[in-house]
Amino acid sequence: MSAEQRSEAEQERRRRVVQLGSAAAFLAVVVVAVLIVIGQSQSDGGDTNLEGADVVRQDLDGIPQQGLTLGDPGAPVTLVEFGDLQCPVCKGFAEEVIPEVIDSRVRGGEAKIEFRNFTIISEESIPAAAAAIAAGEQGRGWDFIELFYRNQGIERSGYVTDDFLTEIARGAGVPDIERWDTDRQNRRVLAAVSAQTAEAERLGLEGTPSFAVEGPATKGLEVPGFLESPAEIEAAIDSASG
Amino acid sequence: MPAAAEGRLRAVAVFVATLGIAVATYIAIAESDGGAPACFAGGGGCETVAESSHSELAGVNVAVIGIAGYLALLAAALLRGDGARLAGFAFALIGFGYSVYLTWLELFVIDAICQWCVASAILMTLLFALNAVRMVRYVGKPP
Repeated sequence: MSAEQRSEAEQERRRRVVQLGSAAAFLAVVVVAVLIVIGQSQSDGGDTNLEGADVVRQDLDGIPQQGLTLGDPGAPVTLVEFGDLQCPVCKGFAEEVIPEVIDSRVRGGEAKIEFRNFTIISEESIPAAAAAIAAGEQGRGWDFIELFYRNQGIERSGYVTDDFLTEIARGAGVPDIERWDTDRQNRRVLAAVSAQTAEAERLGLEGTPSFAVEGPATKGLEVPGFLESPAEIEAAIDSASG
Repeated sequence: MPAAAEGRLRAVAVFVATLGIAVATYIAIAESDGGAPACFAGGGGCETVAESSHSELAGVNVAVIGIAGYLALLAAALLRGDGARLAGFAFALIGFGYSVYLTWLELFVIDAICQWCVASAILMTLLFALNAVRMVRYVGKPP
């Protein structure tokens, strides 16, 4: 084969590389696009971007949980937070106030925090509350609550869908999602939501979040008034401990 | 000797694809019971990624899809001829493109990095480079 023939053959080969390579690249791009579209479409129906999962994990790391109670079960003081998962003020507390209290009073075992549902915003608050209780039955109640707040949507906007709740439960690390899904629709769990809200009304609470404390220096569960800063909550805990 | 040079390229691709299968298999096994791969740096990045909805595609664990991709790339590296060269390039481009997307999800959507996913993305990038060179240099030449 002469040099000219070799050159022509190489040029022909290069044309073939460009043609076949372009076809292969086009096919690959289409496949990747389809994979991405499938991935994105399964994210629809709720905020699957789950913000703050790492922060929640760090905040709660190493602290025992039982039901919706965070902290040492034997802690002398119980701080009860009545909250509505749809409540934007509660979200603010979850992000700005409660973490300080967890660090200063709960982590050391002086107090435990119990979350109770006070579903006052809309009907959507009820399945959210039931989902939190069901997550609590698998030891992930506080992960669920904290993660819900960090991914909260606009109240009464319809964002509290089954997909959204499932996504939060997965992100919260609920071990058995099928069991959680059954539990959250269970009459017993829904009755617990109603009972917690009824208790808040009985205590005369009018908004969320509201706090109550119980400890050696209190007569049962007492409502110390509106608490809005870590210092005020810590003072209420210290006062209840005697 | 072009065949010998392509042989070396294929041998490296076989090695990298085998590593990829090992990494993806480890991730798939670690996540099979609802767990997560062990992240050596700590920080819970692997758990966060494993628990994310993006760890599955149409109900299938992404690591399992990765195993299938690496197996296809291994087969392409083991076979000779233009069909294998082009298929290897196409599979590697799919894997590379999807790895870029998954890395973007980790950085900007999930807000967590899993070292094993990063390792897989690096291996997929290497395979893309190897298969691109193989296609450009050897398509149209004797096996």
